[in-house]
Amino acid sequence: MRVHIDKINKTFKEKPVVSHLSFTVHPGRILGLLGPNGAGKTTTLRMILDILRPDSGKITFDDKPINKNIRNQIGYLPEERGLYQKYSVMDVMLYFGRLKNLSRRKSHVETVRLLDSFEMIDYMEEPVGHLSRGMQQKLQFLVSLIHNPEILVMDEPMWGLDPINQERLQQKIFSLRDEGKTILISTHQLAEAETTCDYFVLINQGKAVLQGSLEQIRKNFYQNMIVLETSQKPEILKKIPSIRKIDVQNSVIYLYLDGNAPIRQIMQEIIQTIEISRIEIHKPSLHDIFIQTIKNIGK
Amino acid sequence: MKSFLIITWWEFIRHFKSWSFLISTFVSPVIFAGIVLIPTLFLEDPGQNRVRMLGCVEFDTTGLCQGIQERFVDVNAGSTIPPFMRFITIKADTTPAMRIRFENVAGLKKDLDSLEDAYNTIKERRKFVFQKPKSTGREASLRTTYDELIQTREARDLAQIEYQHAKLQADSLWRIETMRYADHLLNILQLEGYLLIDTQEFSQGIVEFHSLLPSNFLEIEPLKRAVQVVIVEQRLKQEGLRVDKIQEWLEPVLFREIQLQGDDKEEFDFIINYLGPIIVVLFLFISIFTSSGFLFSGVLKEKTNRVIELLLSSVNHYQLVAGKIMGLGLLGIFQIIIWYGLTLLLIGFNVLNASQISFLNLTNACLFLLYFVLGYLYFASIFVGIGSLFSNEEDAHHLNQFMRMLSIFPIVLAVLVLQTPNSLLVRILSFVPPLTPTFMILRTPLGNPPPLDYLISTGIMVVSIIISIFFAGKLFRAGSLLYGKKPRLKEIFAILIGRK
Repeated sequence: MRVHIDKINKTFKEKPVVSHLSFTVHPGRILGLLGPNGAGKTTTLRMILDILRPDSGKITFDDKPINKNIRNQIGYLPEERGLYQKYSVMDVMLYFGRLKNLSRRKSHVETVRLLDSFEMIDYMEEPVGHLSRGMQQKLQFLVSLIHNPEILVMDEPMWGLDPINQERLQQKIFSLRDEGKTILISTHQLAEAETTCDYFVLINQGKAVLQGSLEQIRKNFYQNMIVLETSQKPEILKKIPSIRKIDVQNSVIYLYLDGNAPIRQIMQEIIQTIEISRIEIHKPSLHDIFIQTIKNIGK
Repeated sequence: MKSFLIITWWEFIRHFKSWSFLISTFVSPVIFAGIVLIPTLFLEDPGQNRVRMLGCVEFDTTGLCQGIQERFVDVNAGSTIPPFMRFITIKADTTPAMRIRFENVAGLKKDLDSLEDAYNTIKERRKFVFQKPKSTGREASLRTTYDELIQTREARDLAQIEYQHAKLQADSLWRIETMRYADHLLNILQLEGYLLIDTQEFSQGIVEFHSLLPSNFLEIEPLKRAVQVVIVEQRLKQEGLRVDKIQEWLEPVLFREIQLQGDDKEEFDFIINYLGPIIVVLFLFISIFTSSGFLFSGVLKEKTNRVIELLLSSVNHYQLVAGKIMGLGLLGIFQIIIWYGLTLLLIGFNVLNASQISFLNLTNACLFLLYFVLGYLYFASIFVGIGSLFSNEEDAHHLNQFMRMLSIFPIVLAVLVLQTPNSLLVRILSFVPPLTPTFMILRTPLGNPPPLDYLISTGIMVVSIIISIFFAGKLFRAGSLLYGKKPRLKEIFAILIGRK
């Protein structure tokens, strides 16, 4: 199910929290919603879930506004986890399954299936409060999946999980994507987003400042920079025209070039000038892009 | 609708299984009953637990104490108090020294009497000699007996002075000893109090009552009645009236207290007509506040642990609020049914008399249920609205306490209803929403309010509930996602008038 966010706005206390935000999440894709604290990510998710209503703009699901059926096809994993601590895993999952319009029997079957697939079947009758923090995280994820949703909205899904469970969760998210589910992840963990998401929307102060696939973003964020490693002193390279700045970090040398500098020609000149063990055109990571973009906006 | 029912069931069952519900259903009423009944037992009917001894002290043999004792039983016949009161005449436990003193007084009296007899004998003899014809021996005899008479009279007068002095001394000592003994009985708590009868003062209508505990002075009404009867009897006897007539006239009056109940009239009973409705109101309040308290803390916890967000991704605000209110309302009704069942059990086991809850007839029970539901919906919507504004348990707890205190305010005002159930003031207050459920539940068995009052009060409650649910919905919608800070009054007001 395609989720389309079209120029939505939301204002709290006369302060715009989300402004003219538009993007689309396609089935079989994982969209990463990125942004610094207070950028409006959670508010955006809440508007998608119809917990909050946008002041203007619209959110459609396969071109339809949200309704009860669509709501029942959304699975939600909130940022801050919490479930009824005194009640058993089974009771809690049954309750949320029933709220998502599953029959009691179906809810029971799905609970057992999911708990089994995540090796939690032995804890079925345990009160939620008796589970470890990581187990509770997993349980919360399973709650969002109990009704086999078409759309999965997750706020910081990996937060608090150990690497093994992060890997397991990621594999599950990939398999859901492969099944054609529409997945939206809001996260701060850019390394995790980079490996998990297919499409990114970076928002700042409620506005989308960057969006596209990682390749598209990198292309748009193209930086004229060469990375090299050498045992010689790099100052000699200053004589090459178009090298604006030389930066050394942990024996790796970053060469900042002018905007229209001919990169291949410069690389040839470098090879001829000094002895190098590695040379490559720098590809910015999502983290670099994120930091740089936010910094640029700040300027 | 289905989601609403699922939430209703979940809220009902999860709180039904909680310890809090078990405590509020079974333990709280016992504690509450204890708080209400224990002081009542001590203050209003203290004799139910123990026999209370009252004494009577008199210093002569007029038998007034005996008379008061008999009248005490007669006059208070039919009252619950006299069977638990014992009335005794206190006799001082005289010491051997006191006995010797009394024997001495008795000896002096005997001496005085014999001197009196001797004096009278001499007087008679002189009279006899005097009446005889004059002879030579007559004059001599008169002279001799005159000397004897004078000597005997002097001896008798001296004996009388000695006797009176000894008697006065003995009487004073005996009086002091008797009172000391009576006071001792008070101090060792064998007596609650005693009457001190002085014959002279008694005839003037003055009687003293001595006691140790202040509360005993509040409970001597039955004794006063008996003393009053004895004094009146004594005075009427002095007027020359026949004793049997006096007793007939002083038969206690039997008061039958009939209360108007609409078109019917019923004999007034303190427990049935006065205490019963208060207990019902208090129980309904326990139920209302148990359920509202669950609602308040439930919303607060769900907000604190963010479950509320998960719920709101599945159902809308109205379904969630309505499901919660309904689920916990059903829990309240279930709690009342449990109490009603327990009451029937107590009747079955003869612990309670069925007549004592006769005010709980079908009509009244339906009216109580109606006002319970109205009261619950009204308070629950306020609690849920306010509960949703807080995410800090401490802040919310203080507010919860404050709200509870405000909600108990109607019970404090209930005394107005008990005094004049259908007065204008009470009728007006019955139409003020926070007071309506309490006042109407109390007025129903006490004053049988006119049907118009039921219609108006129900109408006002329905409108108030709609308004409070409307505002609670607004508060909940805005407040359920408000984290980390205490809302200011200005913000709450802004939410209510829709600026937020």
